[in-house]
Amino acid sequence: MAAKDHTIFSSYQRDPALFDELYDEKGEVKNIYKTLFDLYGSHSIEDYMRLNEKAKSSFFNQGITFQVYGDKDSQEKIFPFDLFPRIIDPAEWEVIEKGAIQRSRALNLFLWDIYHDKKILKQGVVPLELVSSSENYLHQMMDVDPPGGIYNHISGTDIIKHNDGKYYVLEDNIRCPSGVSYVISNRTALKRALFGVFNHYQAYTVTNYAENLLELLETVKPKGVDSPNTVVITPGMYNSAFYEHSYLAKTMGVELVEGRDLYVENDFVYMRTIKGPEKVDIIYRRIDDQFMDPLEFRSDSALGVPGLFSAYKKGNVTLANAPGTGVADDKAVYTYMPEIIKYYLDEEPILNNVHTYHCSRKEELAYVLEHIPELVVKPVDEAGGYGISIGNKLTKEEIEKVKKQIAENPRKYVAQPIMSLSVHPTYIDETNSFEQRHVDLRTFTILGKDREFVLKGGLTRVALRRGNLVVNSSQGGGSKDTWVLKH
Amino acid sequence: MLARVANNLFWMGRYIERSEHIARYMHVNYFSSLDAPHEISRSRQFVLRSMLRMAGEAVPDEGEELNEEEVLHRLALDPSNPFSIISNVRYTRENANSARDLISTELYESINKFYHFVLKYPADHYKKKGLYDFSVNIIEMSSILRGRIRSTLLHDEVYAIILLGVNLERANQLIRMINAKYQDAKEARGSYGDTFSKSFEWTTLLKCLESYDMNRRHYKKTPTSLTTLEFLILNPNCPRSLMNCLNQIYNHIRVLDNSFRYNKDSTAFLVGRVRSEYQYKYIEEIEGNIQQFIDGMLKNLADIGTQMENEFFHY
Repeated sequence: MAAKDHTIFSSYQRDPALFDELYDEKGEVKNIYKTLFDLYGSHSIEDYMRLNEKAKSSFFNQGITFQVYGDKDSQEKIFPFDLFPRIIDPAEWEVIEKGAIQRSRALNLFLWDIYHDKKILKQGVVPLELVSSSENYLHQMMDVDPPGGIYNHISGTDIIKHNDGKYYVLEDNIRCPSGVSYVISNRTALKRALFGVFNHYQAYTVTNYAENLLELLETVKPKGVDSPNTVVITPGMYNSAFYEHSYLAKTMGVELVEGRDLYVENDFVYMRTIKGPEKVDIIYRRIDDQFMDPLEFRSDSALGVPGLFSAYKKGNVTLANAPGTGVADDKAVYTYMPEIIKYYLDEEPILNNVHTYHCSRKEELAYVLEHIPELVVKPVDEAGGYGISIGNKLTKEEIEKVKKQIAENPRKYVAQPIMSLSVHPTYIDETNSFEQRHVDLRTFTILGKDREFVLKGGLTRVALRRGNLVVNSSQGGGSKDTWVLKH
Repeated sequence: MLARVANNLFWMGRYIERSEHIARYMHVNYFSSLDAPHEISRSRQFVLRSMLRMAGEAVPDEGEELNEEEVLHRLALDPSNPFSIISNVRYTRENANSARDLISTELYESINKFYHFVLKYPADHYKKKGLYDFSVNIIEMSSILRGRIRSTLLHDEVYAIILLGVNLERANQLIRMINAKYQDAKEARGSYGDTFSKSFEWTTLLKCLESYDMNRRHYKKTPTSLTTLEFLILNPNCPRSLMNCLNQIYNHIRVLDNSFRYNKDSTAFLVGRVRSEYQYKYIEEIEGNIQQFIDGMLKNLADIGTQMENEFFHY
């Protein structure tokens, strides 16, 4: 069926260089999308504009908004939401799910190792500098055994589909990954606006996240506690992710606390209630390492709880994620993920890593120098995007300059192929039509003691500006409901 | 429940009740003055002054002419006025936000809708012809919130704290309205041989408290100062009466503190004392010295609030 038969898709333009999630290699709408394509195609543009407004008001009414700092109340905004869902084929999902678990488990073993015997460093599989130079490495965590042996209870894995049609992991987020509440509110908004489409598809529910989170957190309770008291700690209601913190506390049925609600006495943690102190056993923290405990980390932190880290070291309280996980999610460690997975699990990586050329290795250096226009070159030790050169955007002179820089100090550079994110039809307000936009996928994995859970769905983020590859909400990104279909 | 969050929920209850009372007072006074039986009650200046008095604002001297649009805007939609309806609704939502994990999605969404309604209400339309529509909506939306509180929350401590806020504020607003109308009745006396006890203002007072119809049903005659005050202060079956509020406050405080013999410094002890006093009063005792009653009761209610803070919200 050709796109032009449908009013709402009639002006949809496909760039052949991009991988469009809706179409197969023959240019036909994929089987899984066919019904959806027909259903959406039957809407007139006016219909669709009305539905779009309805979805927006659903977010307003649910109070899922963020505030632009410095502005008045009227500037309250919603994260842009796209009504056209992304569908993930059951077979493809199976790979993603297994791959996400594999990575989370490997990272957990890696963290245990570098905070205990450091075998992987001693054996030279991963260079020592990688860890010792990381500012997220917490020497205070050395030889601390987290309850249940788990560090990264919650992982957010950012996955893209490249124009070769394969999934690649771009990043593992194992500090305080956020976004899961949007997965659920996106589903709610889509149901409110277009409940009819769910009659034609069998998608997995996404509302079971919180119950699984609580169950798995309880598997890593401190020793000697029968029925643990769990809380979520938030920096406060002016934090941009506050909605998510309150959502998780509510759906788990536990208290949402701030640092000032807790105190530590004799290495036990208590919260101040209307009936006096109540002991706390498990803390799902949404506060960064450095702000957690002013006695141990940043002393100017007003968000944390004095003495919390000491209680943690004594094993009297579980912190999820454990302090010090940040060392394993930085860009340099990422490049060693295939080695890390092999080393600890003796398995081949299930999900692709974007291939990384280490210029410190001779044969790889030669390849990099010859292929600069196809590569992204990054310094290994610079954060925040500094010193990155994207090959296809460089002039001839610039290429020569980059080559020279690398040749002078090859150890300082790594290079990766330029990745292209797949595109998905997305409704664009300004033109009242569907256009191709780049998307990624953040999955959520929970590790417990001998158990794990992956949310069947995830956050599909959309780069709303044409041609833009950055999907972050801070850069004007939106999101879509994401369906994992049952077999 | 966390002490900090309890404090926020208590105030959420108070702000819900407060915004509704301001809306009701403005609405009823304005519209009943349009065809009031005598001149003073019909005077727009008189009505505007009464509104300011009830909202706790400074009332300018007699000679000073008030601008209707300014007063209406100031009391309802002026975000820079901390006592305006819009400010109250904003505080309601802010407090609900901080306790979002404890209250139901249904309640939260209603609060949120309420907030967006007030925020988006066109100020110009309101000042010129929207008073009726605006205030009726405020009243209805607050009723929905109370319904959601009652029917979607667990009737536990969270519920008790919210309803303590609601009832304490309701009692407070009731006394303020009695105060404002008492002053009005004194001022409006004289023309057409209106006496203080038969003033039209008593009818307005009952309507402000949505108790006029039930007062007629109970007494079967035109409200007087005596029947109005008896109904609004001492009748426990009138849901807006002081006695009803005190009974509810008593029941809810017992959820938080159910000891048999109360510590004399506890909130429950204080509430019990005030409640017992009014349980055994008759209206003539009060009507003889209304001002004393008003001042005394406002102090009692303030003391209960302070006591609660010390006992439960201290964190």
